[in-house]
Amino acid sequence: MAASESSRYLARSLPRALAQNSRSLGFCWRRNASNQAADLSELESDGSLSTAPVSEEMVKSYDPIANSKGRKKQLPRSRYQFRSPKYDRGPLHPHQPPPESDPSSRLYVPGPFMLPRTEQTWQSTVASDILTLCYVHNPPGFKPPPKAPRLRSWDDSSPYHKNRQLRGPRGGDVLRLLRKPITFNNIPKLDRITIHSYVKGAAQEHSGWIHVAGMAVQAISNARVTTFKSRTSVATWGIAPGRDTVAVKAELRGEDMHHFFGKLVDVVLPKVKDWEGVKGTSGDSSGNITLGLEPAHIALFPEIEVNYDMYPPRMIPGAHITIHTTANTDKDARLLLSAMGIPFHGKLVD
Amino acid sequence: MSLHTSLRRSAASATSRLPTTPSSTTFICTQCRHATLLRRPKRPYTFTQLITLSDGSAYMQRTTSPAPVYRSTRDTRNTLLWNPSSSKLMSVEDDEAGRLAAFRAKYGRIWDANTPAAAAEEGAEKKSGDEAAAAAAAKAQAEAEAQEEEDNLLDLISSFGQEETQAGDKKKKN
Repeated sequence: MAASESSRYLARSLPRALAQNSRSLGFCWRRNASNQAADLSELESDGSLSTAPVSEEMVKSYDPIANSKGRKKQLPRSRYQFRSPKYDRGPLHPHQPPPESDPSSRLYVPGPFMLPRTEQTWQSTVASDILTLCYVHNPPGFKPPPKAPRLRSWDDSSPYHKNRQLRGPRGGDVLRLLRKPITFNNIPKLDRITIHSYVKGAAQEHSGWIHVAGMAVQAISNARVTTFKSRTSVATWGIAPGRDTVAVKAELRGEDMHHFFGKLVDVVLPKVKDWEGVKGTSGDSSGNITLGLEPAHIALFPEIEVNYDMYPPRMIPGAHITIHTTANTDKDARLLLSAMGIPFHGKLVD
Repeated sequence: MSLHTSLRRSAASATSRLPTTPSSTTFICTQCRHATLLRRPKRPYTFTQLITLSDGSAYMQRTTSPAPVYRSTRDTRNTLLWNPSSSKLMSVEDDEAGRLAAFRAKYGRIWDANTPAAAAEEGAEKKSGDEAAAAAAAKAQAEAEAQEEEDNLLDLISSFGQEETQAGDKKKKN
Protein backbone atom coordinates (compact mmCIF):
# COMPACT_ATOMS: atom_id res chain seq x y z
CA MET A 1 0.00 0.00 0.00
CA ALA A 2 2.78 2.28 0.88
CA ALA A 3 4.47 1.53 -2.36
CA SER A 4 1.38 2.42 -4.36
CA GLU A 5 0.94 5.59 -2.36
CA SER A 6 4.47 6.60 -3.01
CA SER A 7 4.09 5.92 -6.70
CA ARG A 8 0.97 8.04 -6.82
CA TYR A 9 2.80 10.88 -5.15
CA LEU A 10 5.69 10.38 -7.51
CA ALA A 11 3.44 10.65 -10.53
CA ARG A 12 1.93 13.77 -9.17
CA SER A 13 5.23 15.31 -8.35
CA LEU A 14 6.68 14.66 -11.80
CA PRO A 15 6.43 17.54 -14.23
CA ARG A 16 3.61 17.43 -16.68
CA ALA A 17 5.74 17.09 -19.78
CA LEU A 18 7.68 14.21 -18.43
CA ALA A 19 4.57 12.36 -17.45
CA GLN A 20 3.24 12.67 -21.03
CA ASN A 21 6.45 11.29 -22.41
CA SER A 22 6.34 8.26 -20.18
CA ARG A 23 4.90 6.17 -23.02
CA SER A 24 7.73 7.02 -25.42
CA LEU A 25 10.27 6.49 -22.72
CA GLY A 26 8.72 3.19 -21.90
CA PHE A 27 11.36 1.16 -23.65
CA CYS A 28 13.81 2.04 -20.96
CA TRP A 29 12.14 0.10 -18.21
CA ARG A 30 9.92 -2.29 -20.11
CA ARG A 31 10.58 -5.91 -19.29
CA ASN A 32 10.29 -8.20 -22.26
CA ALA A 33 9.84 -11.29 -20.22
CA SER A 34 7.42 -14.15 -20.55
CA ASN A 35 6.07 -13.80 -17.05
CA GLN A 36 5.15 -10.21 -17.68
CA ALA A 37 1.52 -9.53 -17.21
CA ALA A 38 0.94 -8.35 -20.80
CA ASP A 39 -2.48 -7.45 -21.94
CA LEU A 40 -3.56 -10.33 -24.14
CA SER A 41 -6.08 -8.18 -25.93
CA GLU A 42 -3.38 -7.23 -28.49
CA LEU A 43 -2.99 -10.84 -29.57
CA GLU A 44 -5.17 -12.36 -32.20
CA SER A 45 -7.61 -14.78 -30.83
CA ASP A 46 -7.27 -17.12 -33.80
CA GLY A 47 -4.14 -18.90 -34.81
CA SER A 48 -2.68 -18.64 -38.27
CA LEU A 49 -4.02 -22.07 -39.11
CA SER A 50 -7.58 -20.91 -39.05
CA THR A 51 -7.00 -18.06 -41.49
CA ALA A 52 -9.58 -17.69 -44.22
CA PRO A 53 -8.40 -18.98 -47.64
CA VAL A 54 -6.99 -16.49 -50.13
CA SER A 55 -9.47 -15.08 -52.55
CA GLU A 56 -9.50 -16.26 -56.17
CA GLU A 57 -8.59 -12.82 -57.56
CA MET A 58 -5.45 -12.70 -55.49
CA VAL A 59 -4.42 -16.14 -56.70
CA LYS A 60 -5.08 -15.14 -60.30
CA SER A 61 -3.21 -11.87 -59.99
CA TYR A 62 -0.16 -13.52 -58.47
CA ASP A 63 2.21 -14.15 -61.40
CA PRO A 64 5.85 -13.62 -60.43
CA ILE A 65 7.20 -14.54 -63.87
CA ALA A 66 5.09 -11.93 -65.60
CA ASN A 67 6.09 -9.42 -62.95
CA SER A 68 9.75 -10.04 -63.48
CA LYS A 69 9.37 -9.91 -67.25
CA GLY A 70 7.40 -6.72 -67.12
CA ARG A 71 10.05 -5.08 -64.98
CA LYS A 72 11.97 -2.51 -66.94
CA LYS A 73 14.93 -2.06 -64.65
CA GLN A 74 17.00 -4.56 -62.81
CA LEU A 75 16.26 -5.11 -59.17
CA PRO A 76 18.73 -3.49 -56.80
CA ARG A 77 21.37 -5.96 -55.80
CA SER A 78 21.67 -7.38 -52.39
CA ARG A 79 23.33 -5.17 -49.89
CA TYR A 80 25.78 -7.85 -48.85
CA GLN A 81 28.47 -8.49 -51.39
CA PHE A 82 31.44 -10.71 -50.91
CA ARG A 83 34.75 -9.08 -51.61
CA SER A 84 37.66 -11.40 -51.98
CA PRO A 85 40.57 -10.51 -49.71
CA LYS A 86 43.23 -8.56 -51.48
CA TYR A 87 46.07 -10.51 -49.95
CA ASP A 88 46.69 -14.18 -49.51
CA ARG A 89 47.92 -14.47 -45.95
CA GLY A 90 48.72 -18.14 -45.95
CA PRO A 91 46.83 -21.33 -45.33
CA LEU A 92 46.49 -20.78 -41.60
CA HIS A 93 44.86 -17.39 -41.83
CA PRO A 94 41.15 -17.40 -40.98
CA HIS A 95 40.29 -15.19 -43.94
CA GLN A 96 40.93 -17.29 -47.03
CA PRO A 97 40.53 -16.07 -50.61
CA PRO A 98 38.08 -18.10 -52.69
CA PRO A 99 39.47 -20.50 -55.30
CA GLU A 100 40.50 -19.10 -58.68
CA SER A 101 37.55 -20.66 -60.42
CA ASP A 102 35.13 -18.70 -58.25
CA PRO A 103 33.85 -15.60 -60.08
CA SER A 104 34.27 -13.56 -56.93
CA SER A 105 37.96 -14.36 -56.77
CA ARG A 106 40.40 -11.66 -57.71
CA LEU A 107 42.25 -14.14 -59.91
CA TYR A 108 39.18 -15.22 -61.84
CA VAL A 109 39.50 -15.24 -65.62
CA PRO A 110 36.23 -15.77 -67.45
CA GLY A 111 36.01 -18.07 -70.38
CA PRO A 112 36.19 -20.02 -72.57
CA PHE A 113 33.80 -18.03 -74.66
CA MET A 114 33.50 -20.39 -77.61
CA LEU A 115 34.81 -23.62 -79.00
CA PRO A 116 37.49 -22.56 -81.46
CA ARG A 117 37.46 -23.91 -84.97
CA THR A 118 40.90 -25.50 -84.74
CA GLU A 119 39.90 -27.35 -81.62
CA GLN A 120 36.76 -28.61 -83.32
CA THR A 121 38.86 -29.74 -86.25
CA TRP A 122 41.21 -31.57 -83.95
CA GLN A 123 38.38 -33.31 -82.17
CA SER A 124 36.43 -34.23 -85.26
CA THR A 125 39.12 -35.26 -87.73
CA VAL A 126 42.72 -34.81 -86.68
CA ALA A 127 42.63 -36.92 -83.56
CA SER A 128 41.18 -39.98 -85.26
CA ASP A 129 43.50 -39.54 -88.24
CA ILE A 130 46.58 -39.45 -86.04
CA LEU A 131 45.34 -42.42 -84.09
CA THR A 132 44.93 -44.35 -87.32
CA LEU A 133 48.27 -43.27 -88.74
CA CYS A 134 50.17 -44.13 -85.59
CA TYR A 135 48.55 -47.51 -85.08
CA VAL A 136 51.04 -50.32 -84.87
CA HIS A 137 49.59 -53.76 -85.07
CA ASN A 138 51.13 -56.36 -82.84
CA PRO A 139 49.95 -59.91 -83.38
CA PRO A 140 48.69 -61.71 -80.31
CA GLY A 141 51.48 -63.18 -78.29
CA PHE A 142 53.91 -60.53 -79.48
CA LYS A 143 56.45 -59.45 -76.94
CA PRO A 144 58.57 -56.39 -77.67
CA PRO A 145 62.27 -57.12 -77.56
CA PRO A 146 63.83 -56.02 -74.30
CA LYS A 147 65.49 -52.66 -74.54
CA ALA A 148 68.74 -51.70 -72.93
CA PRO A 149 68.29 -49.46 -69.89
CA ARG A 150 68.46 -45.78 -70.70
CA LEU A 151 70.99 -45.10 -68.00
CA ARG A 152 73.98 -47.41 -68.03
CA SER A 153 75.24 -48.96 -64.86
CA TRP A 154 78.90 -49.04 -63.99
CA ASP A 155 80.79 -52.28 -64.35
CA ASP A 156 82.09 -53.19 -60.92
CA SER A 157 85.71 -53.16 -62.02
CA SER A 158 86.57 -50.63 -59.38
CA PRO A 159 85.54 -50.58 -55.75
CA TYR A 160 84.74 -46.90 -56.20
CA HIS A 161 81.80 -47.80 -58.46
CA LYS A 162 79.83 -48.77 -55.39
CA ASN A 163 76.75 -46.52 -54.97
CA ARG A 164 77.80 -44.34 -57.86
CA GLN A 165 75.05 -42.68 -59.87
CA LEU A 166 74.12 -44.30 -63.16
CA ARG A 167 75.81 -43.11 -66.31
CA GLY A 168 74.05 -41.20 -69.02
CA PRO A 169 73.47 -42.60 -72.51
CA ARG A 170 76.32 -43.15 -74.91
CA GLY A 171 77.28 -40.36 -77.24
CA GLY A 172 76.05 -37.43 -75.24
CA ASP A 173 74.46 -36.52 -72.00
CA VAL A 174 71.05 -35.68 -73.43
CA LEU A 175 68.40 -38.01 -72.17
CA ARG A 176 65.65 -37.76 -74.74
CA LEU A 177 62.01 -38.10 -73.94
CA LEU A 178 60.53 -41.55 -74.13
CA ARG A 179 58.09 -42.06 -76.93
CA LYS A 180 55.19 -44.07 -75.73
CA PRO A 181 52.94 -45.73 -78.27
CA ILE A 182 50.14 -43.38 -79.25
CA THR A 183 46.82 -44.62 -78.01
CA PHE A 184 43.45 -43.03 -77.48
CA ASN A 185 44.57 -41.21 -74.38
CA ASN A 186 47.81 -39.66 -75.55
CA ILE A 187 47.00 -38.37 -78.99
CA PRO A 188 49.23 -35.36 -79.65
CA LYS A 189 47.51 -32.00 -79.46
CA LEU A 190 48.43 -28.39 -79.07
CA ASP A 191 49.63 -27.62 -75.59
CA ARG A 192 50.61 -23.97 -75.71
CA ILE A 193 52.00 -21.37 -78.06
CA THR A 194 54.74 -18.97 -77.11
CA ILE A 195 55.21 -15.77 -79.05
CA HIS A 196 58.61 -14.35 -78.31
CA SER A 197 60.08 -11.25 -79.79
CA TYR A 198 63.56 -9.89 -79.24
CA VAL A 199 63.48 -6.18 -79.89
CA LYS A 200 66.85 -4.93 -80.97
CA GLY A 201 65.94 -1.27 -80.96
CA ALA A 202 64.88 -1.35 -77.32
CA ALA A 203 68.47 -1.61 -76.17
CA GLN A 204 70.04 0.42 -78.91
CA GLU A 205 67.62 3.33 -79.19
CA HIS A 206 64.75 3.88 -76.76
CA SER A 207 62.05 2.05 -74.91
CA GLY A 208 59.39 2.96 -77.43
CA TRP A 209 60.37 -0.12 -79.36
CA ILE A 210 59.47 -2.42 -76.53
CA HIS A 211 56.14 -0.70 -75.99
CA VAL A 212 55.19 -1.01 -79.63
CA ALA A 213 56.32 -4.62 -79.69
CA GLY A 214 54.28 -5.38 -76.60
CA MET A 215 51.17 -3.79 -78.06
CA ALA A 216 51.58 -5.59 -81.36
CA VAL A 217 52.10 -8.97 -79.72
CA GLN A 218 49.17 -8.36 -77.39
CA ALA A 219 46.97 -7.43 -80.33
CA ILE A 220 47.75 -10.55 -82.31
CA SER A 221 47.60 -12.90 -79.34
CA ASN A 222 44.72 -11.69 -77.09
CA ALA A 223 47.05 -11.99 -74.11
CA ARG A 224 49.15 -9.69 -71.98
CA VAL A 225 52.86 -9.86 -72.65
CA THR A 226 55.66 -10.17 -70.17
CA THR A 227 58.92 -8.35 -70.70
CA PHE A 228 62.38 -9.67 -70.18
CA LYS A 229 65.72 -8.14 -69.43
CA SER A 230 68.89 -9.27 -71.03
CA ARG A 231 70.87 -11.85 -69.15
CA THR A 232 73.99 -11.78 -71.23
CA SER A 233 76.35 -9.09 -72.32
CA VAL A 234 76.83 -8.59 -76.02
CA ALA A 235 78.87 -5.52 -76.78
CA THR A 236 77.86 -5.26 -80.43
CA TRP A 237 74.18 -5.27 -79.55
CA GLY A 238 74.75 -2.88 -76.72
CA ILE A 239 73.17 -5.02 -74.04
CA ALA A 240 74.34 -5.65 -70.52
CA PRO A 241 72.89 -8.12 -68.05
CA GLY A 242 69.95 -6.77 -66.11
CA ARG A 243 70.10 -3.32 -67.65
CA ASP A 244 68.01 -3.40 -70.78
CA THR A 245 64.53 -4.70 -71.32
CA VAL A 246 64.96 -6.41 -74.62
CA ALA A 247 62.22 -8.96 -75.21
CA VAL A 248 58.50 -9.51 -74.94
CA LYS A 249 56.76 -12.83 -74.67
CA ALA A 250 53.15 -13.91 -74.70
CA GLU A 251 52.19 -17.37 -73.66
CA LEU A 252 48.90 -18.67 -74.96
CA ARG A 253 46.93 -21.59 -73.68
CA GLY A 254 43.48 -22.93 -74.26
CA GLU A 255 41.08 -20.80 -76.21
CA ASP A 256 43.51 -17.99 -77.03
CA MET A 257 45.99 -20.48 -78.35
CA HIS A 258 43.49 -22.09 -80.68
CA HIS A 259 42.27 -18.75 -81.99
CA PHE A 260 45.81 -17.63 -82.62
CA PHE A 261 46.73 -20.87 -84.33
CA GLY A 262 43.70 -20.72 -86.60
CA LYS A 263 44.43 -17.11 -87.51
CA LEU A 264 48.06 -17.87 -88.19
CA VAL A 265 47.40 -20.84 -90.42
CA ASP A 266 44.31 -19.72 -92.27
CA VAL A 267 44.89 -16.04 -92.77
CA VAL A 268 48.46 -14.96 -92.16
CA LEU A 269 50.80 -17.62 -93.51
CA PRO A 270 49.08 -17.83 -96.95
CA LYS A 271 49.66 -14.12 -97.37
CA VAL A 272 53.39 -14.41 -96.84
CA LYS A 273 55.09 -14.05 -100.21
CA ASP A 274 57.26 -16.94 -101.35
CA TRP A 275 56.86 -18.86 -98.13
CA GLU A 276 57.74 -22.48 -98.60
CA GLY A 277 56.64 -23.71 -95.21
CA VAL A 278 58.25 -24.34 -91.88
CA LYS A 279 61.73 -25.74 -92.13
CA GLY A 280 61.82 -29.48 -91.67
CA THR A 281 64.78 -29.18 -89.35
CA SER A 282 62.87 -27.00 -86.92
CA GLY A 283 62.05 -28.46 -83.55
CA ASP A 284 63.74 -29.21 -80.27
CA SER A 285 63.43 -33.01 -80.67
CA SER A 286 60.84 -33.17 -77.92
CA GLY A 287 57.78 -32.13 -79.84
CA ASN A 288 57.98 -28.34 -79.90
CA ILE A 289 58.28 -26.63 -83.25
CA THR A 290 59.35 -23.04 -83.79
CA LEU A 291 58.81 -20.80 -86.75
CA GLY A 292 59.88 -17.24 -87.25
CA LEU A 293 57.89 -14.34 -88.63
CA GLU A 294 59.45 -11.18 -89.94
CA PRO A 295 58.05 -7.72 -89.17
CA ALA A 296 56.35 -7.59 -92.57
CA HIS A 297 54.60 -10.86 -91.79
CA ILE A 298 53.46 -9.70 -88.36
CA ALA A 299 51.88 -6.74 -90.12
CA LEU A 300 49.69 -9.18 -92.05
CA PHE A 301 47.72 -10.18 -88.98
CA PRO A 302 44.16 -8.86 -89.26
CA GLU A 303 44.38 -7.15 -85.88
CA ILE A 304 47.34 -5.12 -87.02
CA GLU A 305 45.98 -4.57 -90.51
CA VAL A 306 42.75 -3.09 -89.18
CA ASN A 307 44.65 -0.53 -87.15
CA TYR A 308 47.91 -0.32 -89.00
CA ASP A 309 48.33 3.40 -88.48
CA MET A 310 48.56 2.92 -84.74
CA TYR A 311 51.95 1.25 -85.00
CA PRO A 312 55.05 3.07 -86.16
CA PRO A 313 55.84 0.99 -89.24
CA ARG A 314 59.52 0.77 -88.42
CA MET A 315 58.84 -0.60 -84.96
CA ILE A 316 56.56 -3.52 -85.74
CA PRO A 317 58.47 -6.49 -84.34
CA GLY A 318 59.27 -9.84 -85.77
CA ALA A 319 58.55 -12.85 -83.63
CA HIS A 320 59.47 -16.41 -82.94
CA ILE A 321 56.43 -18.57 -82.52
CA THR A 322 56.98 -21.81 -80.67
CA ILE A 323 54.18 -24.32 -80.88
CA HIS A 324 54.38 -26.68 -77.95
CA THR A 325 52.58 -29.95 -78.50
CA THR A 326 52.00 -32.84 -76.19
CA ALA A 327 53.88 -35.08 -78.59
CA ASN A 328 57.18 -36.37 -77.32
CA THR A 329 59.02 -36.44 -80.60
CA ASP A 330 59.30 -33.97 -83.43
CA LYS A 331 57.95 -36.51 -85.85
CA ASP A 332 54.65 -36.76 -84.05
CA ALA A 333 54.51 -33.01 -83.60
CA ARG A 334 55.08 -32.52 -87.32
CA LEU A 335 52.37 -35.02 -88.09
CA LEU A 336 49.97 -33.11 -85.89
CA LEU A 337 50.88 -29.70 -87.27
CA SER A 338 50.71 -30.77 -90.88
CA ALA A 339 47.30 -32.22 -90.18
CA MET A 340 46.31 -28.90 -88.65
CA GLY A 341 47.49 -27.03 -91.74
CA ILE A 342 51.13 -26.04 -91.36
CA PRO A 343 53.24 -27.07 -94.36
CA PHE A 344 56.81 -28.24 -93.93
CA HIS A 345 59.58 -28.10 -96.46
CA GLY A 346 63.07 -29.38 -96.84
CA LYS A 347 64.64 -32.33 -95.17
CA LEU A 348 62.55 -33.53 -92.26
CA VAL A 349 64.70 -34.25 -89.24
CA ASP A 350 63.02 -36.40 -86.64
CA MET B 1 82.32 -20.35 -50.08
CA SER B 2 85.60 -18.77 -49.22
CA LEU B 3 83.97 -16.86 -46.38
CA HIS B 4 82.52 -20.06 -45.06
CA THR B 5 85.83 -21.89 -45.09
CA SER B 6 87.61 -19.03 -43.41
CA LEU B 7 85.00 -18.97 -40.70
CA ARG B 8 85.43 -22.65 -40.14
CA ARG B 9 89.15 -22.29 -40.03
CA SER B 10 89.00 -19.49 -37.52
CA ALA B 11 86.58 -21.45 -35.39
CA ALA B 12 88.88 -24.46 -35.50
CA SER B 13 91.86 -22.34 -34.55
CA ALA B 14 89.87 -20.72 -31.78
CA THR B 15 88.89 -24.09 -30.39
CA SER B 16 92.45 -25.28 -30.63
CA ARG B 17 93.68 -22.22 -28.82
CA LEU B 18 90.90 -21.81 -26.29
CA PRO B 19 89.23 -25.11 -25.65
CA THR B 20 87.37 -23.78 -22.64
CA THR B 21 85.23 -21.24 -24.62
CA PRO B 22 83.44 -22.98 -27.48
CA SER B 23 82.29 -20.68 -30.30
CA SER B 24 78.53 -20.94 -30.63
CA THR B 25 76.44 -19.68 -33.51
CA THR B 26 72.86 -18.60 -32.95
CA PHE B 27 70.52 -19.11 -35.87
CA ILE B 28 67.46 -16.93 -35.76
CA CYS B 29 65.01 -19.03 -37.67
CA THR B 30 61.53 -17.72 -37.29
CA GLN B 31 58.89 -18.60 -39.77
CA CYS B 32 57.48 -15.62 -41.55
CA ARG B 33 54.68 -15.58 -44.06
CA HIS B 34 54.15 -12.27 -45.72
CA ALA B 35 50.88 -11.54 -47.35
CA THR B 36 50.85 -12.12 -51.08
CA LEU B 37 49.04 -9.56 -53.17
CA LEU B 38 46.46 -11.24 -55.38
CA ARG B 39 46.83 -9.28 -58.58
CA ARG B 40 43.87 -9.18 -60.87
CA PRO B 41 44.85 -10.77 -64.18
CA LYS B 42 44.93 -8.26 -67.00
CA ARG B 43 43.68 -9.22 -70.37
CA PRO B 44 42.86 -7.20 -73.46
CA TYR B 45 39.28 -6.62 -74.51
CA THR B 46 38.23 -9.12 -77.13
CA PHE B 47 35.48 -9.04 -79.70
CA THR B 48 33.79 -11.80 -81.60
CA GLN B 49 34.69 -11.65 -85.24
CA LEU B 50 33.39 -13.49 -88.25
CA ILE B 51 36.20 -14.57 -90.55
CA THR B 52 35.12 -15.16 -94.12
CA LEU B 53 37.56 -17.13 -96.19
CA SER B 54 37.93 -16.63 -99.90
CA ASP B 55 35.80 -19.64 -100.78
CA GLY B 56 32.91 -18.31 -98.73
CA SER B 57 33.30 -20.47 -95.66
CA ALA B 58 33.09 -18.54 -92.43
CA TYR B 59 33.83 -19.09 -88.79
CA MET B 60 33.82 -17.06 -85.62
CA GLN B 61 36.76 -16.20 -83.46
CA ARG B 62 37.65 -14.00 -80.53
CA THR B 63 40.02 -11.24 -81.43
CA THR B 64 41.21 -7.86 -80.27
CA SER B 65 40.22 -6.37 -83.61
CA PRO B 66 36.96 -4.43 -83.38
CA ALA B 67 35.93 -5.19 -86.97
CA PRO B 68 32.91 -7.50 -86.85
CA VAL B 69 33.67 -9.21 -90.15
CA TYR B 70 37.01 -9.97 -91.71
CA ARG B 71 37.02 -10.92 -95.36
CA SER B 72 40.24 -12.53 -96.40
CA THR B 73 41.35 -12.33 -99.99
CA ARG B 74 44.22 -14.73 -99.66
CA ASP B 75 44.07 -17.75 -97.41
CA THR B 76 44.55 -21.48 -97.40
CA ARG B 77 41.75 -21.95 -99.89
CA ASN B 78 43.43 -20.11 -102.75
CA THR B 79 47.11 -20.54 -102.05
CA LEU B 80 49.13 -23.03 -104.02
CA LEU B 81 51.12 -24.25 -101.02
CA TRP B 82 47.97 -25.56 -99.37
CA ASN B 83 46.44 -26.80 -102.65
CA PRO B 84 49.35 -28.40 -104.48
CA SER B 85 47.12 -30.41 -106.79
CA SER B 86 44.96 -27.53 -107.88
CA SER B 87 45.72 -26.86 -111.53
CA LYS B 88 43.70 -23.68 -111.33
CA LEU B 89 46.25 -22.19 -108.96
CA MET B 90 49.16 -23.74 -110.82
CA SER B 91 48.66 -21.75 -114.03
CA VAL B 92 50.52 -18.55 -113.51
CA GLU B 93 49.25 -16.49 -116.42
CA ASP B 94 49.58 -12.89 -115.35
CA ASP B 95 46.73 -11.14 -117.02
CA GLU B 96 45.86 -8.48 -114.51
CA ALA B 97 45.16 -5.81 -117.11
CA GLY B 98 43.03 -8.12 -119.20
CA ARG B 99 45.20 -7.69 -122.29
CA LEU B 100 45.32 -11.37 -123.08
CA ALA B 101 41.58 -11.61 -122.64
CA ALA B 102 41.09 -8.68 -124.95
CA PHE B 103 43.36 -10.28 -127.49
CA ARG B 104 41.43 -13.50 -127.31
CA ALA B 105 38.16 -11.65 -127.61
CA LYS B 106 39.41 -10.07 -130.76
CA TYR B 107 41.28 -12.91 -132.43
CA GLY B 108 39.92 -16.04 -130.78
CA ARG B 109 41.72 -18.72 -128.86
CA ILE B 110 43.45 -20.30 -131.80
CA TRP B 111 46.72 -18.56 -131.04
CA ASP B 112 47.32 -20.68 -127.99
CA ALA B 113 46.58 -23.87 -129.86
CA ASN B 114 49.97 -25.28 -128.89
CA THR B 115 49.16 -25.17 -125.17
CA PRO B 116 47.09 -28.06 -123.80
CA ALA B 117 43.37 -27.43 -123.98
CA ALA B 118 42.70 -28.00 -120.29
CA ALA B 119 45.31 -25.50 -119.22
CA ALA B 120 43.92 -22.94 -121.63
CA GLU B 121 40.43 -23.52 -120.27
CA GLU B 122 41.63 -23.02 -116.73
CA GLY B 123 43.60 -19.99 -117.75
CA ALA B 124 40.37 -18.52 -119.01
CA GLU B 125 38.65 -19.46 -115.76
CA LYS B 126 41.35 -17.89 -113.67
CA LYS B 127 41.05 -14.65 -115.55
CA SER B 128 37.40 -14.57 -114.69
CA GLY B 129 38.41 -13.28 -111.27
CA ASP B 130 39.06 -9.94 -112.87
CA GLU B 131 35.83 -8.23 -113.80
CA ALA B 132 36.97 -6.74 -117.06
CA ALA B 133 38.57 -10.00 -117.99
CA ALA B 134 35.38 -11.84 -117.15
CA ALA B 135 33.34 -9.62 -119.40
CA ALA B 136 35.92 -9.99 -122.14
CA ALA B 137 35.93 -13.76 -121.76
CA ALA B 138 32.16 -13.90 -121.96
CA LYS B 139 32.23 -11.81 -125.07
CA ALA B 140 34.97 -14.03 -126.43
CA GLN B 141 32.88 -17.13 -125.88
CA ALA B 142 29.88 -15.54 -127.56
CA GLU B 143 31.97 -14.46 -130.50
CA ALA B 144 33.68 -17.81 -130.63
CA GLU B 145 30.35 -19.50 -130.98
CA ALA B 146 29.36 -17.05 -133.68
CA GLN B 147 32.60 -17.32 -135.63
CA GLU B 148 33.22 -21.01 -135.61
CA GLU B 149 33.74 -21.11 -139.36
CA GLU B 150 36.45 -18.50 -139.22
CA ASP B 151 38.13 -20.38 -136.41
CA ASN B 152 38.14 -23.51 -138.47
CA LEU B 153 39.81 -21.60 -141.24
CA LEU B 154 42.29 -20.16 -138.79
CA ASP B 155 43.00 -23.68 -137.62
CA LEU B 156 44.14 -24.53 -141.10
CA ILE B 157 46.39 -21.51 -141.23
CA SER B 158 47.84 -22.00 -137.77
CA SER B 159 49.16 -25.43 -138.64
CA PHE B 160 51.27 -23.74 -141.27
CA GLY B 161 53.53 -21.57 -139.08
CA GLN B 162 53.28 -23.18 -135.68
CA GLU B 163 56.78 -22.28 -134.49
CA GLU B 164 56.26 -18.59 -135.11
CA THR B 165 52.95 -18.51 -133.32
CA GLN B 166 54.49 -20.37 -130.41
CA ALA B 167 57.25 -17.79 -130.09
CA GLY B 168 54.73 -14.99 -130.36
CA ASP B 169 52.56 -16.53 -127.70
CA LYS B 170 55.49 -16.84 -125.33
CA LYS B 171 56.33 -13.22 -125.91
CA LYS B 172 52.79 -12.30 -125.09
CA LYS B 173 52.94 -14.28 -121.91
CA ASN B 174 56.23 -12.82 -120.83
